[in-house]
Amino acid sequence: MNYNLNDIAGEQPKSSTFRSLKKLLQLIKEERKNLLWALFAILSNSGLNLLGPFIIGYTIDTYIVRKNYPGVLSFSGLLLFMYMLAFIASYKQTKIMGGVGQNMLFKLRNTIFNKLQELPVDFFNQNKAGDLISRVNNDTDKINQFFSQSLMQFIGTIVTMVGAGIFLLAINFRLGIATLVPGILIFFFTKATSHFVKLRNALSMKSTGSLSAEIQESLNNFKVIIAFNRRDYFRNRFEEVNNVNYAKAIDAGVANTVFIPVYGFFASMAQLIVLTLGIYLISIHQFSIGLLVSYLAYATNFYNPLRQVAALWTNFQVAMAGWDRVSHILNLESNLLMTNTNGHLKSEDLMEFRNVHFGYPGGKEILHNINFQLEPGKTYALVGPTGGGKTTTASLLARLYDPVKGQVALNGKDIRSYSSEERANKIGFILQEPFLFTGTIRENILYGNDHYKDFSNEQLEEVIKEANLQNLLDIFQDGLETEVSSGGESISLGQKQLIAFMRAILRNPDLLILDEATANIDTVTEKILEDILNKLPAKTTRVIIAHRLNTIKNADEIFFVNTGEVIRAGSFDHAVDMLLKGKRES
Amino acid sequence: MAEKSGEAVTTNEKSPGVFSLLIPYRGMIALLIFLALMSNGINLVLPKIIALGIDAYPKHYVLKSVLIEFISAALIIFIFTFLQNIVQTYTSERVARDLRSRLASKIASQDYAYIEMSNSSKLLTNLTSDVDSIKMFVSQAIVSIASSLIIIIGACIMLFTINWKLALAIVAIIPIIGGTFFFVLKKVRTLFMSSRKVIDRLNKVINESILGAALIRVINSQQPEYEKFLAASTEAKNLGLSIIRLFAGLIPIIIFTANLGALTILALGGHFVISSGMSLGDFAAFNSYLSLLIFPILVIGFMSNVIAQATASYRRIEVVLQVPELEDTGTITESLKGNIALHHVWKKYGQKAALKNISFSVNAGNTLAVIGPTAAGKTQLLYLLTGLTKPEEGSVEFDGKSIDLFNKENFYKHVGFVFQDSIMFNMTIRENIAFSDLVTDEKLKRAVDTAELSGFIDSLPNKMDTVVSERGTSLSGGQKQRIMLARALAINPKILLLDDFTARVDTNTEMKILKNIRENYPGITLISVTQKISSVEHFDQVIVLMEGELVARGKHHELMKSSPEYVQIYDSQQSISNYELQPQ
Repeated sequence: MNYNLNDIAGEQPKSSTFRSLKKLLQLIKEERKNLLWALFAILSNSGLNLLGPFIIGYTIDTYIVRKNYPGVLSFSGLLLFMYMLAFIASYKQTKIMGGVGQNMLFKLRNTIFNKLQELPVDFFNQNKAGDLISRVNNDTDKINQFFSQSLMQFIGTIVTMVGAGIFLLAINFRLGIATLVPGILIFFFTKATSHFVKLRNALSMKSTGSLSAEIQESLNNFKVIIAFNRRDYFRNRFEEVNNVNYAKAIDAGVANTVFIPVYGFFASMAQLIVLTLGIYLISIHQFSIGLLVSYLAYATNFYNPLRQVAALWTNFQVAMAGWDRVSHILNLESNLLMTNTNGHLKSEDLMEFRNVHFGYPGGKEILHNINFQLEPGKTYALVGPTGGGKTTTASLLARLYDPVKGQVALNGKDIRSYSSEERANKIGFILQEPFLFTGTIRENILYGNDHYKDFSNEQLEEVIKEANLQNLLDIFQDGLETEVSSGGESISLGQKQLIAFMRAILRNPDLLILDEATANIDTVTEKILEDILNKLPAKTTRVIIAHRLNTIKNADEIFFVNTGEVIRAGSFDHAVDMLLKGKRES
Repeated sequence: MAEKSGEAVTTNEKSPGVFSLLIPYRGMIALLIFLALMSNGINLVLPKIIALGIDAYPKHYVLKSVLIEFISAALIIFIFTFLQNIVQTYTSERVARDLRSRLASKIASQDYAYIEMSNSSKLLTNLTSDVDSIKMFVSQAIVSIASSLIIIIGACIMLFTINWKLALAIVAIIPIIGGTFFFVLKKVRTLFMSSRKVIDRLNKVINESILGAALIRVINSQQPEYEKFLAASTEAKNLGLSIIRLFAGLIPIIIFTANLGALTILALGGHFVISSGMSLGDFAAFNSYLSLLIFPILVIGFMSNVIAQATASYRRIEVVLQVPELEDTGTITESLKGNIALHHVWKKYGQKAALKNISFSVNAGNTLAVIGPTAAGKTQLLYLLTGLTKPEEGSVEFDGKSIDLFNKENFYKHVGFVFQDSIMFNMTIRENIAFSDLVTDEKLKRAVDTAELSGFIDSLPNKMDTVVSERGTSLSGGQKQRIMLARALAINPKILLLDDFTARVDTNTEMKILKNIRENYPGITLISVTQKISSVEHFDQVIVLMEGELVARGKHHELMKSSPEYVQIYDSQQSISNYELQPQ
């Protein structure tokens, strides 16, 4: 399955803004009641606020012009009452809408994370880690910024604008149409330029992305830069992307700034229309001074938010673009589903490969028609030259991938018919690149281990002794409470491998796979590991991948893996022979 | 990002503010403020023109002049805002670019210890989001504050000239709105800081779940990961709701106060129109000025936030910029011969000593193996030998002279280092190998052949021009190691340092490579940190490191007699070493 998000983005037709919005709104289906209340509050708030200028205009015409001050006062009282109601409505509006926005964001975040957890290893191999992290962090952050900061403003201004437009048309239709003409021009102007502006912004965002990728790569590889005396490499590469970024940012910035003066100018034109046409209408007695004052207020109410809406619309577009990128992930499905393969294969073997073919997506076939069995309690070794397919074979055993053709069986049943929980309990896999979570050794070795997670440190140490892991734990200064971090160099690769080893042993799996899991551990410590492996429960099967032959000399059986074939070596000597004379595929 | 601002403000009172950054750009800034002054100043005249129009409606000839005034004012505003926006974009992007350049070249001139200490993600933040918040300050804060002040002051003056009594009543709303806004923003700022922290935590969980994806799937720990995430996510939501509650109070108060202003104009202004003959045009102008007044007050409030953020960012950037330039005090530019000596070297990390009193020497052209258990300090030793780190005590000498005396550029021309962890750049294989600019085609070819890479490279569709992806995921562990070896050999070094090179390369290939090195690079001084005794038995000298101490030193056969530690390691590998030594 193709999990490469950059390819996928190219394949899928660009979804329209409204279609993506609809999908996003699916997330808050159960908020419908709150949304209705919010809508009610927004309408009453905007309605009341919009009624204000009209009442002011009416008061001018009926009382101020006719010099009736008590009338002015009683209408002022009415206005005060209305403003108080609007105050309450506005409070409710912000609170409810804000709550809805936060809930939506909460759901969105959780949905994305959940999806990430569902997807198979393949997905993470096909995408750059940096790209994924930026997609999940930055893109949700953009959606976050819109929903937590701009959403309420956005809705509020739109309602005010529409309301002001209605009042403009209702008070005097002809004058209203004339006032709205500049607005229509703005609309077409925006429409005509938006594609260009969007393109400029997209280019600018892309160059910002490569800027930060460049920095990250150079900083992470700084020791090579120093040791090969290439400080200029960092400077030059940076200078280059920095200048590209500058040029693109100016392109985008200039494109963006065109809107503000244009909007301002059109808004002034609208005022001018109201003023001249209004005064003309007054002079032929079709309009009044009071209404002209109201009208000027409505025109401001219509055109002022327009600028804001333009700014917010950009935010909205950015959020939607983020959502688009995120939904590429949400649309993916795991290709490692649980299937109900019937046909119970009768077998005493713990695991079996039956006519297995495998190739990575878009690549050539790596394993051709592989057949072998693993018996319970035995130790197997996979040897062979670099790039020969050892890790791939092991990954299929742990169902990190499914074979393209053929079948992998666990206890006689297709491995695909096991739930991932069952499978993980039965199969332990110590990976080539050990990964640690930031935290203590205790947290790391108990990671994902439900059995011991509530044990006190004393109890846990007891367990560790029983599993013969005490010697390994002693290597760490503060024992279980030694702090480690996922990135840092505070701890050596060998020590990381020891922690990964303890983590796997404590899970007590039926099948334990070690993929060059001890490559950076010294041979003395490795002897200890070997003792530990030998003292594992009798039923435990071990599969060891190693370059160093001493790690595998006690294996019951040795498989020679090369050029897509897995061949059973008769004896240790035979395996060594094959290794020394074997054709190298690398 | 924002969390450090409070601390920085108290500890770093005297450091120059973010405004000092603008000094080199004062011309552009002055132009910017001038343009903002013009466009906003003229904006203030519009309501007055409208008032004139309203009062003059019976006389048509006045209307005509009003029309011309209005259109020309609008046009001038248009031109000035347009110019202002362009200048604004250029200035802010220029400030950002220059600042990034300064930062990058400062970072590029530091040593490895500095990068390690200040950690790369922090530097990345300095170069990206810190610079962005300063850019935002330049592009928005300066102009916005200048124009807001002009509008507030100008509108007030206009109000007072029209009717000072009514103006007094209206101006009273400014402190109410300003005060409420200031109070709420202060509270919101602390909440924003905590929410930034929570977001950082969320991101950490996401990052670890992506980087550790394989492990999580092997262990089937998706559920606990989700719970970890959910806890942080819920906290983020609750913080978000608290912020919303504050805003839910703030916005209605501001609107209500502004509405009270409109009410005052109606009630009090109406009174003046009726009793003391204030004109209706002036009455309308009051309404217009009121609507002009509200927004700038809010803008100043928002901008105080932008300034606070930019100040905090600038302080963090200043810290990097003020790190003293690393000067290369070394003057020796002679070619290295390859003699290496360590005298009583100590290397400490905090309280713990990674290397204790290490002394040894290697003659030019000789080979040295460093053997020892995990965490013995072997890699630290290599870092000292390349000058990536410096010892606390003792000295590292090449050809009898301290490493510090060598001109760095010259020194690194002669030392090739193959790191233990795979470091690949997102470039072609050719560029990855010919990483130093001293590499000629001939040197490149020799390095590739020596590292046994030619077969592999020929099998690639684009040969040497194949792009290696980030973290080198498309290559196997052994292939990456060999590319790194070729990179080190390509500079034609006098000294080659291998850090656990044998761990990911199979025996057969390793033997060939070692033989190739002897043939193609005669006279090279080789130091190899390794686990495998068999591959270093014939080395001129072997040293055994344990827990930072040098416990034994000598040739293989000497150590077999004198060092129980060495024998112990040897025994753990002994049963198979005869196979590995088999001749081809």
